Amino acid sequence: MSYSLNEVEGTSKKATRGAGYSWGLAEEAAKATRFLCRNSCDGVAALATVLRETDGKNLTDLTPQSTDDDWRGAPVLCPLIAGASVADHAFLLPTKPLILNDVICPELLLPFVALAASQLEQNVALTCGEIHCVTDGKSLSLNGDLPDRASMVSIQLESAPCSNTNPTADRAHPAPETWAALLTLAHRTYAPATAESREKGAGAGLTDND
Amino acid sequence: MTKQEQISRRDPARVMRLKRLGSLHQCRLSFMRTLSRRMAGEGWKFSRPVFDIDEKGVGHAVYSAHGPERTYSLVAFAHDLPAELRSDRVIAEAWDCTFSLYDGVPDTADIDRLRQNVPLQEAGRISKTELSLSRANRSVRLWAHVVDALTAGEQPDPEQIDQVGYLMRTTAVYGSGKFGAADRQMIEDREELLAPFQAEMLSVYLTRTFVRDLVQHMANAKGGAQTATLDAAIARRLGIGNSTGLGMAPFILNHPILFSNWIMAREEAIARVRSVAKASDEEVARFRELFARSELLVERWRSAHPTQIEKLADLRRDLEALRAHLETADLQENNPWNRLIEWSEDALSEEGQEFIASLILEPYPALVDGLTQCMADKNKDAFRIDGAMPVEEARNLISQCFGWAKGLSWGEHENCARAWYVSEEKLEPRMGERFEEPIADYEQPLAPARDAAAALEALDGWDGTVPVASFLLKHPEHRHTVRRAQMSRVAPYGEIQDNTISSEIMPIDMLRAKLSFFGATHFDPRSDRWVRICMYAGAPYPEELSSESAELWVYPELPE
Repeated sequence: MSYSLNEVEGTSKKATRGAGYSWGLAEEAAKATRFLCRNSCDGVAALATVLRETDGKNLTDLTPQSTDDDWRGAPVLCPLIAGASVADHAFLLPTKPLILNDVICPELLLPFVALAASQLEQNVALTCGEIHCVTDGKSLSLNGDLPDRASMVSIQLESAPCSNTNPTADRAHPAPETWAALLTLAHRTYAPATAESREKGAGAGLTDND
Repeated sequence: MTKQEQISRRDPARVMRLKRLGSLHQCRLSFMRTLSRRMAGEGWKFSRPVFDIDEKGVGHAVYSAHGPERTYSLVAFAHDLPAELRSDRVIAEAWDCTFSLYDGVPDTADIDRLRQNVPLQEAGRISKTELSLSRANRSVRLWAHVVDALTAGEQPDPEQIDQVGYLMRTTAVYGSGKFGAADRQMIEDREELLAPFQAEMLSVYLTRTFVRDLVQHMANAKGGAQTATLDAAIARRLGIGNSTGLGMAPFILNHPILFSNWIMAREEAIARVRSVAKASDEEVARFRELFARSELLVERWRSAHPTQIEKLADLRRDLEALRAHLETADLQENNPWNRLIEWSEDALSEEGQEFIASLILEPYPALVDGLTQCMADKNKDAFRIDGAMPVEEARNLISQCFGWAKGLSWGEHENCARAWYVSEEKLEPRMGERFEEPIADYEQPLAPARDAAAALEALDGWDGTVPVASFLLKHPEHRHTVRRAQMSRVAPYGEIQDNTISSEIMPIDMLRAKLSFFGATHFDPRSDRWVRICMYAGAPYPEELSSESAELWVYPELPE
């Protein structure tokens, strides 16, 4: 089944919130997932992987403990939290690369690297072993698949053009099980129905048969 | 000669209060009027390639609107709905009619696919060739009256038409990728869909035509040869109803830039007209004519809701005061419209003030209409947080946006009595009592003022020169607030300057603000969180659409 990118964004936001992230981070995770899908990557699978790994964990442990030198979590980094911080710290990139250690699903850093690129109006690259990705803020160019886990990722300004980019997609085609995984987490944001809440719904108890 | 005085836009602190937003009226910038103006100006053609509906009213029809570059088609399915299933609520499961706006002209396979899905509404799936999904129920009493009258060879009673205003009432009109439809992103660069909600407005416009044809078809089926044809003037008085619940309130909170663009366009239009030094005879005559016609519009506005009854009484008093004022007022010299607005600020309630602010725009298409191009949200970058911003600047932005809330104590129950949440049952947005129901854990982020107060507290003690990126690393829970505050730099009218979770909140104020931009009239709240409106009443049907009829249809014609 194909989904609109709006559906991807909406479901991703609720799923991320359902997994315990703040609303602000959930909004960013949702835009990030949409960005990956827009660039023909399986954003839904990436988000499902991250949320599965981080569900029930103390998110503070998955946050960069310091941004002075290499970024590390305790012991791993969540790409949503670290990614949002990479975008926030885009202003550091003209002076030094950002080095992140032990990152879950580094693919989900890419949308945040793209935010940094559009902030700086300059191409930015993410390197992870042999894999090199470049973005101009809108498009993505990758020379292979990023691993599920990266021991080290480097993010730096890139002078080369962003060429051979992924095609853009206007629909997402997630695997049913990954979509279902997001829906399960999203479901946690819904308040269980009570008789009282039903009565307080808009229009409850009034007739429309007029 | 009067010196040209440039009047500035009104202060957001004045405009963005809920009481005022809940008093907004349609104007030249309304989305329905934008659409009819464009369709007439570009000479759109209309056709009805399919009308396959039996004598019980079951079947389907296709209505196509052909613009200069593209065609859009409403695919309508008509059902035989038992009365006990008729409900406007989102949680309903069956409707009298269901619709989808197709991007192009659908073939048989498309219609078969849509027939499997559109009648199911939220439980079905549409695809990227569909731009909207909607449904409508009959107004049982007016439908029966019109069918009976026509069948008897007579015309329906205008008084009964005015009592209800429409033969069918839509509820949700879903667009923008909902239930699998095309994303806004896919169509936003099309000239004809650039202004907000144009696809949805087109779908409702064609729905109204279908409903007129359907009632005639049903009357013909019942009455045979003696059946009267619905008089064109009476048909024009019929709009399409809409019943809107809480879902719209979160929308304006969740789209601060878009909402700000709407308000700012109207405020800019008002400021431009207030800055007109001298009005011509024609401009004054146009204003006076439309004032008289809008008195009729208000006269026909009915509501049974106590708050709206009071507001309508205010508005009618305001119109009387305005009529008396206009008898002697000089509307030509010395910034006449500015003087009128200033007079209204002392003499009228918010209902009357906003009524007059919309009405003064009418004689000035050249100053106003181009602003419709500024009402979409094309600023994709505004979502991105500027992490380099010093903490002090972020603190100031938050304070500026929410300065009005400074004195509010968020510990007091009445200031946070409500919580917005989504129900598990039907995924329906609801607002509940925080201290009486188990909903706080499921709260949606729809109380920006409270969240801003929490962010300011957390910012307390932070060195003002540090980049806000450092603060956000420690406090990811405030990303939402910092983003909104940074957005306010491009969205001065993006924040409602009232408490959205207070015990006093009236969500219908938010609904009315949004619906007024659609161009709705006859706001008729059914509770504090549910409102019925009328759309397109008075509008020309496709075969009547011309540059003369496309513009001022919202104002009823004066009796000969």
